[in-house]
Amino acid sequence: MLSRVAENLYWMTRYMERAENTARLINATSQVLLDLPPEASFGWDVLIKVVGLDALFSRCYTTPDENSVMRFLITDERNSGSIVSCVRSARENSRTLREVLPRAAWERINGMYLYTNNRAADAVDRARRYTILEEIIERRQSVVGLLTDGMSHDAAYQFIRLGRYIERADMITRILDINAAVLVPRQQVPEDPSMALLWMSVLNSLHAYQMYRRHASVHVRGAEVVNFMLKDTHFPRTVRYCLDELESSVSQLPHHGGPLKLLRIAQRRLAAMRIEGLTAAQRHEYLDAVQSDLAHLHEEIATEYFKFCEQKPAPLEALAGA
Amino acid sequence: MLTLNLTTNYSSAHCFDELIDANGIPRPAARTLFECLARFPLAELDARRAEVDAAIMTMGITFTIYSEGSNIDRAMPFDIVPRVMGQREWRRVDAGLRQRLMALNLFINDLYNEQKIVKDGVFPIDVLAGSKNFRAQCKGHTPHFGVWAHICGTDLVRDKDGTIYVLEDNLRVPSGVSYMLENRMLMKRLFPELFEQCRILPVDDYTTRLYESLAALSPRRDERPMIAVLTPGIYNSAYFEHSYLAQQMGAMLVEGSDLVVGADDCVYMKTIDGLRRVDVIYRRIDDDFLDPDVFRPDSALGVRGLMRAWRRGKVGIANAPGAGVADDKVVYTYVPKIIRYYLGEDAILPNVPSYLCMNSKEREYVLANLDKLVVKPANESGGYGMLIGPRSTQAERDAMHSRISADPRNYMAQPTLTLSTAPTLIDGKLAPRHLDLRPFVLQSERMYVTNGGLTRVAMREGSLVVNSSQGGGSKDTWIVEEQR
Repeated sequence: MLSRVAENLYWMTRYMERAENTARLINATSQVLLDLPPEASFGWDVLIKVVGLDALFSRCYTTPDENSVMRFLITDERNSGSIVSCVRSARENSRTLREVLPRAAWERINGMYLYTNNRAADAVDRARRYTILEEIIERRQSVVGLLTDGMSHDAAYQFIRLGRYIERADMITRILDINAAVLVPRQQVPEDPSMALLWMSVLNSLHAYQMYRRHASVHVRGAEVVNFMLKDTHFPRTVRYCLDELESSVSQLPHHGGPLKLLRIAQRRLAAMRIEGLTAAQRHEYLDAVQSDLAHLHEEIATEYFKFCEQKPAPLEALAGA
Repeated sequence: MLTLNLTTNYSSAHCFDELIDANGIPRPAARTLFECLARFPLAELDARRAEVDAAIMTMGITFTIYSEGSNIDRAMPFDIVPRVMGQREWRRVDAGLRQRLMALNLFINDLYNEQKIVKDGVFPIDVLAGSKNFRAQCKGHTPHFGVWAHICGTDLVRDKDGTIYVLEDNLRVPSGVSYMLENRMLMKRLFPELFEQCRILPVDDYTTRLYESLAALSPRRDERPMIAVLTPGIYNSAYFEHSYLAQQMGAMLVEGSDLVVGADDCVYMKTIDGLRRVDVIYRRIDDDFLDPDVFRPDSALGVRGLMRAWRRGKVGIANAPGAGVADDKVVYTYVPKIIRYYLGEDAILPNVPSYLCMNSKEREYVLANLDKLVVKPANESGGYGMLIGPRSTQAERDAMHSRISADPRNYMAQPTLTLSTAPTLIDGKLAPRHLDLRPFVLQSERMYVTNGGLTRVAMREGSLVVNSSQGGGSKDTWIVEEQR
């Protein structure tokens, strides 16, 4: 397959994955904020920290109130990671992929784009937000289903998986990192009922609450949540699972020695990690290391498979870290 | 009667209507269609029309208009009332198209080799000398089967007396076939009932035939050929079609920068696994941009060394470079003679009578009658640079006057035909709109003609301009078995 096409597949999927993750993050947070007492210190600005766009946000808005944060994350075209921007970029990428993807995939991506373009602005309003974002998530899920079941699991498909799981693992570590920083210091007060609520929200934003309850614990406690989201082998939205998927994908590509070596480093780091008893600084340092493993893996994949490309699309991390 | 409702007050004065005769009665080929449509209340027709529009949006069937800035999508209007033609009439058209393309390919091959037709005095050397699309770089080459124009989109129009004329031959990179295929798919999706009642010849085999035609050009006959569709990229007006055809054929969709010609003169594409050889290129970029070493040196769309690879027989290119020499509106006027010269037959499909501005008598007539004629530049496509006399302003005619005087070889003129019409759903009513027909003809190892083609409609009342680049729409085209 063409290097240009491989790169477009990879980015198309990263943009789609990011749009879905952002929608989930917003919906989970919107729900939990309704339950918190007014004096709780958790606020909308946490979302901006999760996506790592503090600097860009403060250039565009004065205060991180609900309306500004929602506009920034959902519709703002200045933010290349907003849902509207991501869906548009995914669609622009997929436009050049129509001969690779099953025909219905383009129709669904295009349909998702048209829906997002028409309705996303309404999702800034709390009353309509949930339904609209759920619809966007559903539409993205329908694309995933179609690609999983409707196209050959050939090299093209492996680039779709690579984009999906690198982006997902990156988002999981960001969510855990920021939330742990905000939440864990407050665990000194064990009877604080909002703690469990906030960790539930973390699980919800990763679409993991139900599976956590079923497979890890009925109690929602910080260290256990972090442990589950990093290390569970069966749930598709944990870092461990993402790394395993990446390994399986990379192994099916030609000349995969370099990327595979980097993956093994990340996997070993994860296996050696003990969550209980870590200080906040240690945990942050660790999650940071996993993120940089992922960044290296991305660069290695780009060098190995996309290097023929002369024009690169704008890289997501660069913008996210701006 | 609902049937009457559909066609009452429908009248296409002074025109030949494709579906309704002068007495307001459906023509035989369209009878079943109207019987079926009569069972739909108009509200239902309108509802289905809305469904079609929604489907077009989702499917992203779009045609880019150059002038629309950053908005690169624009849905091409689709009319739900099909254009119907009887199979008996179609057989004659089919035969005429085959005859025409066969002669044109013999002509192109002759021009690039012995030029017998020039030596025999049938085709003037001046016309050849003035042809912008004659590529000296192609001289002395004979591609597989002696065929240069593998894919041809021929524009047909019907005048008020019912005669079908060939308006032009598009031998360079004709587009529109994807709309023909999509239109059929839309109709099947939204009016399955009609397909049960009317016996409509299929069009869906086009992409298979295209694949076979291209595969036959492969220099490596013993292996499954690697076929690539070469596109200028997503900003080209026909990008949708390029990707559509690549997808349907299971071919690679490539841009110039994806390809490279090796020291062994073979063409390779840059893949995740390194370089892979390409056997056949279905190119959708003009000659000028194909190879910066040979044609325009500033072209970023083409591939350096591509012409060398082609001349050495390492890659098949469709249409062959230089095929456009016969796609020239002055050359067009010689086609009946070309057919007679190579095939010894009379043209089955007539040309529109034409005046060549290079001949002084004809030029004088043209210049004196600019308000009555349609004037076309020899080498433009998409309706650009044209003058429609009866609808022009004095200033436009003056400008054309000086352009013709400066470069007579580059202009020809034709009487303004009264294009035929067909009922078109406009604001909930059927109204006549002018249309043409572009069938697609393939020639490689075998010949193939689509059953029908792309019907283009001028959606504005009275307008004669059907080009999609000028805001035209389209209809599904049915060739039907006639009722006994």
